Amino acid sequence: MRVLLLIPSRESSMLLPTFADQMSPRRKMATSALACVLVGLAAAPLRGWLDPANVVMLFLLTVLVVAVVLGRNPAVLAAVLSVLLFDVFFVPPHFSLAVSNLQYLITFAVMLATALITGHLAATLQEQAADAGRRERRTRALYEIARQLAGALNDLQVREIVEGFITAEFAGRCQLLLGDAVGDDAAAWLVPARVAAVHAAGTRQIDGAVIYLPLKAPMRVRGVLAVHPGNTLDEAELAALDGLASLVAIAVERLHYVEVAQRSELETATERLRSSILSALSHDLRTPLTVLVGLADAIVLAAPGLSGPALDSARTLRDQAGRLAGLVANLLEMARLNAGSVTLRQEWQPLEEVVGSSLKLLGDALGRHRLRVDLPRDLPLLRFDAVLIERVLCNLLENAAKYSPADGEILIAAALAGDFVELSVGDRGPGFPEPFSAQVFEMFVRGDGESTTPGTGLGLAICRAIVDAHGGRMRIENPAGGGGRVVVSLPRGEPPVVEAEVM
Amino acid sequence: MSDKPRVLIVEDEAQIRQFLRLALAAEGCTVLEASRLADGLTLAGDGGVDLVLLDLGLPDGDGIDFIRAYRGWSDGPVLILSARTEERHKIDALDAGADDYLTKPFGIGELHARVRALMRRRARSGVAASPVVEFGEVVVDLARRLVTRRGEPVRLTPIEFRLLAMMLAHPGQVLTQRKLLADIWGPSYVESSHYLRVYVGHLRQKLEDDPTQPRHFLTETGVGYRFQPGS
Repeated sequence: MRVLLLIPSRESSMLLPTFADQMSPRRKMATSALACVLVGLAAAPLRGWLDPANVVMLFLLTVLVVAVVLGRNPAVLAAVLSVLLFDVFFVPPHFSLAVSNLQYLITFAVMLATALITGHLAATLQEQAADAGRRERRTRALYEIARQLAGALNDLQVREIVEGFITAEFAGRCQLLLGDAVGDDAAAWLVPARVAAVHAAGTRQIDGAVIYLPLKAPMRVRGVLAVHPGNTLDEAELAALDGLASLVAIAVERLHYVEVAQRSELETATERLRSSILSALSHDLRTPLTVLVGLADAIVLAAPGLSGPALDSARTLRDQAGRLAGLVANLLEMARLNAGSVTLRQEWQPLEEVVGSSLKLLGDALGRHRLRVDLPRDLPLLRFDAVLIERVLCNLLENAAKYSPADGEILIAAALAGDFVELSVGDRGPGFPEPFSAQVFEMFVRGDGESTTPGTGLGLAICRAIVDAHGGRMRIENPAGGGGRVVVSLPRGEPPVVEAEVM
Repeated sequence: MSDKPRVLIVEDEAQIRQFLRLALAAEGCTVLEASRLADGLTLAGDGGVDLVLLDLGLPDGDGIDFIRAYRGWSDGPVLILSARTEERHKIDALDAGADDYLTKPFGIGELHARVRALMRRRARSGVAASPVVEFGEVVVDLARRLVTRRGEPVRLTPIEFRLLAMMLAHPGQVLTQRKLLADIWGPSYVESSHYLRVYVGHLRQKLEDDPTQPRHFLTETGVGYRFQPGS
């Protein structure tokens, strides 16, 4: 055991009571009587020579010593016995309780009173000194364990320190239960229900010989300390156990927060690494893509020098490079969203604006599809990250264009729906395969397993991640009029007021 | 200014420089190249540069530092090349004095259009602007504060008119939210972007054919707005 409890040896003034503590009350009485008789015997031969007043002094001294050494009751016995012995052996007529000079009655009374009072005072002082000694010892022990607990580096060390303390101080066993569940390795003398009750109530409970103490830390109850002491405990010892439980609770809580701090530091470091890898990756991917897209475009624009088939090839090259760039953008966006390195730049703005910018961004990509935008004029401002919602809309529009017939209509609509505003993108395609499942929003899942329509199935997954981050929802439906529709619900919140201007 | 405009490319990727050189040569530009910020500043300091194409992520420093330094002695146009996910950088660059940006990857057509617009603006600077501006079916008389659309007068509020005038004064140029808010509403409004968005919405509703698909008052998502005179 690595725990050392340094309990100082009792001071010398306490040695006698320690010795006397081991005597039974009967033996203490006998010792007290013996002391009085011995003093009487010692003084008897000097009877002619000693003044009676001095004999009284000898007896009073005896009572005082008995009180200090043996305690209150033996002192009372010694007081009474001293008066009797003095009367019988030293007051004429000798060897009789009778008194010739009535003056001695006053001597007896004063002697008895003095003996009783000094005896009482001495015994009380002695008891208080012993109490103070015990208290000091316990305080020292608690201070020592507090010091050790403050240095504990993990729960196991806390356990060892507490077990050492209980063994040394209470000659008993104990078990430290962190959390509210009792593990399989718990001692047989534990009552799990009692542990749970103490944990829930946060107050000390005693069940037979076992004391259950809640580990009440400032934030919450951190567990239960069950103590099975070697002998029954008095109030002061229970109070000491309460003190121990608080110390342990604080130590356990401290260790808990140390762990939390370490974990969050690790997470921050991991996140930083992730986002620096991502930005390096996106830079490395973007450079060749920029060159590819640009050069392919340059070849197409240098058209006069190219024959028909070569021009077609150049166009295909340009379009495919553009698609590759879009794909990489989607992949990187998804990686950023997954890595949690995206901070939303949410601002209050009209939905109409982001619809407009998405349409402009897509430009020719919508091909020959007819586009209809149906936004009510009185839509409230919504709070969102325009760049991310623009990506959602672009993905949904690209999907719509991909799955609907070449000249099919694509409808962008919005409507109020309770606490949300619903923005929908509908197409004239075959609709979503029924029954609907949330799977379409998962990565790399596509509506039609072996479709010839190009795509990775990333689009909807990104949309959902973005909409989730905004506290919104996404669903798919096949409207009665045919085609498919994706509905994005964004929370309305409480838009700020823009004061109307006076013309 | 010589007949051939001189363009400085500050970009650390050799392949991108090569592609830009080809594209700009086709436009009849003389091209200067630098792969590092310091070299770029030296070349720009030698004078005679009509346009700077600047990549924001350079090995020896931030492109924004280049803009700040360059603006110390020149007000020549600066075109930023940056990635889509870096709105914050674009805004900082524009606020530092850059004139426009291109998002990588971009096509030659886009590049040529931006370069031409910037060169035109440079050529026009110093020429007294006319108080009457026309775009689409809208005529704005800035001096008389009159706006007509298809010959019909359009009523604008004072703030709407200030916003319109500011955008007309910077045709083809990106104006950051921050700049617009600070100039029109005052410095304490720079975080209240919803004012700007609502008022741009008003302008679109009053002056655009289809407010949801504007042709003149364009949104630069996450950055600001651009007024496009032609369609």
